[in-house]
Amino acid sequence: MRNKYIESFEKAQFAEKNIPDFRAGDTVRVAVRIKEGNKERIQNYEGVCIAIRGEGTGRTFNVRKIGANSIGVERVFPLYSESIESIEVVRRGRVRRAKLYYLRDRKGKAARIKELRRK
Amino acid sequence: MEFIVEKIGMSRTMNVPTVPVTLLKVIETRVCEVRDDGKALVAYNSSKKINAAIKGQQKKFGIDKSFNKFMTIEVAEGTEAGDLDTAPLAEAAVVKTSFNTKGRGFQGGMKRHGFSGGPGSHGHRFGRRIGSIGNAEWPGRVQPGQKMPGQYGNTKVTVKNEVLSYDAENGILVLKGAVPGPKGARGLVRIVK
Repeated sequence: MRNKYIESFEKAQFAEKNIPDFRAGDTVRVAVRIKEGNKERIQNYEGVCIAIRGEGTGRTFNVRKIGANSIGVERVFPLYSESIESIEVVRRGRVRRAKLYYLRDRKGKAARIKELRRK
Repeated sequence: MEFIVEKIGMSRTMNVPTVPVTLLKVIETRVCEVRDDGKALVAYNSSKKINAAIKGQQKKFGIDKSFNKFMTIEVAEGTEAGDLDTAPLAEAAVVKTSFNTKGRGFQGGMKRHGFSGGPGSHGHRFGRRIGSIGNAEWPGRVQPGQKMPGQYGNTKVTVKNEVLSYDAENGILVLKGAVPGPKGARGLVRIVK
């Protein structure tokens, strides 16, 4: 159990944040604030969320995509970080576990995730 | 000015770059008697221990039964007997925090002083031993202050921290960085600026 004072201190920091509900298997588009010198711009990063872990301010999510030359790229973002402008859920996936680390060993067609169809 | 605090634990802020913070709870303190040298005898709560000596002090200063621990701390000028005013914490920018460090017991030279120790293999009898501690027939004694095995930790350590915020309602002081000691430990914060 976490201390109530630590919890309220952390909650106050992300109380105003509007973060969509998503889970492992969902395809998300993360808008990341990037600072170059004194210019700031936004870069989108899109991929499959393969894990969400942690509590409070330490909560992070891991997004995997296949980059150029079919190199797998994984980025771990703090969920409540100020450098994340927005998170958009592009596609809901049908998966049976919370951590999709098995996708690291799969290539091409085998690494597909079916779309979740709600009846 | 000093205040008695309890370490709650650590967290961090979510801004860029993120700042590690320590949360402290300011313990409710009652001033019993103000001395001439800027210090005062204060009482606070610690466990349920009570005995005739404590009872006598409580009767003398007319304080509640739960305030069963006494201590002398520095107080602000013009402080009077009664509840200790924590308002100065809201304006504080820098504090010095004193806690007892985590006790590690009797430790060898490697852990206690960072000695490098001997090799891991190749048949020797050096291992984690401390090695030579002196010279020869002259000076014929060990230099005072020679680093040797012994009790490590559980000593008072003071660090300087910036104050990030103070929540007067719950008595939560948020400091930048770490403070010594385990969670739940009692210590003192002294306002520097």
